[in-house]
Amino acid sequence: MPDLEPAVPVTSQAPVAEAAPGGDRDSVRVIVIDDEEGMREGMRRVLERRGFAVRTARDGESALRLLEEAPSDVALVDLKMPGIDGFKVTEHITRRFAGRTVVVIVSALATVEAAVEVTQHGAFDFLVKPFTPDDLLQVVNRAVQQSRLLRERERYLSELAGERNLSHQMISSMHEGVVVLNIRRAPVLMNPRAEHLLGKRFREGMMLPELFPDLDAAAAIEAVIDSAPARSECRAVQLSAGEGRMQVSISPLLRDGEAGGAIVILSDITESWKAEQDKNRFVSMVAHELKSPLSAIINYINVILTGMFDDNPPKVKEMLERCKVRGEALLDLVRDLLYINSREVGKVERSLEALDLKAVIAAQLEFFRVQTEKRRITTAFEAPLEAYPVRADRGDLDRIFMNLISNAIKYNRDQGRLTVCIRDGGAAWEIAVTDTGIGMNETERGNIFQEFYRVKSHKTSGIAGTGLGLATVKRVLGEYNGTILVQTKPDAGSTFTVVFPKE
Amino acid sequence: MARILIVDDDTDLLEGQKLFLEKNGYTIDTALTIDEGLEKAKEAAPDMIIADLMMEHYDSGFVFCKKVREIPGLQKVPIVMQTAAPRKVGFAFETGAAPGREWMKVDEVLTKPVPLEHLLGKIEQYLSGKARDA
Repeated sequence: MPDLEPAVPVTSQAPVAEAAPGGDRDSVRVIVIDDEEGMREGMRRVLERRGFAVRTARDGESALRLLEEAPSDVALVDLKMPGIDGFKVTEHITRRFAGRTVVVIVSALATVEAAVEVTQHGAFDFLVKPFTPDDLLQVVNRAVQQSRLLRERERYLSELAGERNLSHQMISSMHEGVVVLNIRRAPVLMNPRAEHLLGKRFREGMMLPELFPDLDAAAAIEAVIDSAPARSECRAVQLSAGEGRMQVSISPLLRDGEAGGAIVILSDITESWKAEQDKNRFVSMVAHELKSPLSAIINYINVILTGMFDDNPPKVKEMLERCKVRGEALLDLVRDLLYINSREVGKVERSLEALDLKAVIAAQLEFFRVQTEKRRITTAFEAPLEAYPVRADRGDLDRIFMNLISNAIKYNRDQGRLTVCIRDGGAAWEIAVTDTGIGMNETERGNIFQEFYRVKSHKTSGIAGTGLGLATVKRVLGEYNGTILVQTKPDAGSTFTVVFPKE
Repeated sequence: MARILIVDDDTDLLEGQKLFLEKNGYTIDTALTIDEGLEKAKEAAPDMIIADLMMEHYDSGFVFCKKVREIPGLQKVPIVMQTAAPRKVGFAFETGAAPGREWMKVDEVLTKPVPLEHLLGKIEQYLSGKARDA
């Protein structure tokens, strides 16, 4: 650490007029302690004429009482007094008012030994009797100067201690990990967060490779230290930390303009990193899911455009029909994506209202009637109670049951059955959507709630879908603390049961 | 006439390519899954194979190609992969470099949608044997 030099300009001879201690414009306070009245009054006159505020005392005891009432900047202490002698008084004052009151001994003993002894007792200076008013003023001015320096130093030290304490607390309480390395790459400070993130306790003598086994991080730290102070560049590297991810930012530590080490800040960025990974994966999947139907559509159109089927209009019509189906599925996908996105960014506020599950589901079944009739699927809706009240967003309920009923039709067999049944499950309504379709095997069942997962087999070929339906259902249900269960048997059918809390 | 096997989980894509290539004089077999694809590869001994990458799994195409290479007589059959996946899904499609080709067992990776004329050109190129010697 740098030496603690108070940054106060010191003038050797401060004019008396400016001798007042900084801050208040009051006079400099002097106390004269002498048992000889003539001496006391003589000194008072000289000093008061020069603007000092002077108090006097005839002995040590009364002087100390006065000082307890109000401290003085300078004390002129006679060495030989009845009662407590000057040395004792000096000792007491310098102990009691350290950094506040400067003591000058007034003595008739003009010897080197006496001078040494006086300073050993804590006095700042001494004045030899007899003296002229100028001698007195000169000594007092020096003492005032000293008093002012003492006070500056005192204030500086307490500020420094306060700042150090503050810095220490700030560093300790930081959410980021902080490691300070010296020029020899040895850690000299680690806050608790850094110890936690690096999984290592600080100890004297630990070195860089121990702290950062990752070569990239170590190299970046070396580079920052080596390039300072010519280039005060900061570097950042990312480290994998177990399952997570950590950002390491390194800044050079400069001391008097010279390279002194490095300050390393560690931030746990696992969450944002994971979110970014998820987002990248999602975007890749979206791109894939958009391109697949487009490829099919463009292929058909190109085949038609070659004119090779001009003599076969039914074939052309068939291809156009498929283009329509795939185009519509693409539109569904875009719609689902926009829904998911609006939900994620919170643009769509749920507007909860009192709704009846029976009415919502009946409306959805009606909506799909054309499709069920076309494939001659028998529909049954079992809801014996008058109403099944819930508090929910209408759009959310529609989305849940639209997806489930649509799946129960798409993956059903022609002339199959579609049954929707609402039961009272106590704290929740249980809505079972059952089909008599292709069913699923264990692997397929385990994956259906994953975004973009679609069961792919001969049985499902040609069935359009976005791969987002069930993932969305599960996600939306989660917002109502609801769940969805699946029972399924290959070639027999599936039952999706929504458990929707009543409150 | 040359026989080509196309493996893809998208029926419409298969249908479009099949119709187009058949009109251009090729005999086309199609398969929706890799199991079906392997069966047809064994039965039909195709002159060339076109396979999708992401089918049941994200890497089904690679698994398929690896297994095709184990079928007697098909070690050298040209395989072109077509995928809608971005160029990078945890691995780069560097078929040009020998080690990548060795590992992936495919001759080329095309990004969907592959224009039919372009696909036709590739097929002609590989069947004439030029690409493999290049």
